[in-house]
Amino acid sequence: MTREITLKVGGSTAELERINAAVEELAETEGWPPDLVFQTTLVLEELEVNIMNYAFGEDENVQSQIVLRSEPDRLTIEISDGGKAFNPLEDATEPDLDASLEERKVGGLGIHFVRTLMDEVSYRRENGRNHLTLVKRRD
Amino acid sequence: MIETERDGGVLSVKVQGRIDGSNANDFHSDVKAAIADDDTAVIMDMERLAYISSAGLRVLLMLAKVLEQRNAGFAICSLSDPIREVFEISGFDKVIKVHESPENARAAIG
Repeated sequence: MTREITLKVGGSTAELERINAAVEELAETEGWPPDLVFQTTLVLEELEVNIMNYAFGEDENVQSQIVLRSEPDRLTIEISDGGKAFNPLEDATEPDLDASLEERKVGGLGIHFVRTLMDEVSYRRENGRNHLTLVKRRD
Repeated sequence: MIETERDGGVLSVKVQGRIDGSNANDFHSDVKAAIADDDTAVIMDMERLAYISSAGLRVLLMLAKVLEQRNAGFAICSLSDPIREVFEISGFDKVIKVHESPENARAAIG
């Protein structure tokens, strides 16, 4: 089966609960394994929080859009927002995974999760919007 | 979100549910409030933790740093597979001690 859902997301972290509920509902009807649910929720949270923090600054009226397309062999996630141009694949800080406890920071970890957990990640800027497309293969 | 128990200066914190960007700050305050000045170690039992993102990892890192400055022990135990994966990908398993069970964590802390 193939099913696609679209979510409009506001600028507050309270939106995360709504995103999780939508992911869980899609996962249930499409029969995703539990680790795919966990990874999808994690990736969406990290990217949405990035958009809330960086793309719009203090604007409370942030709106981004998430499209999830679940197909038998893959999940495609597209996240777009109308904030300032921001390519997380190039502009995000790289985490220092070998730092000692004292020097260890959390910056850049979200994008590191996205790169590690997804099979394909690409960014484009189109019509004044940021578009990030992620693919997770199910094989 | 947390349940605590103290045994001879070792505080056990059982974490349950989800720690994400919407409640990580509450989680941080709850744990800080539970730690007493004379606690010698904190063990965080993650058996019933369903989800954690970088927002939650940030809190664990801050707690680990504060406890290290106080020369108090800090260990985590009973991670589920997806949470263990998050720890490994982030490299957190290299800076925070992770044990199989609360008994192992307790024995390691001494």
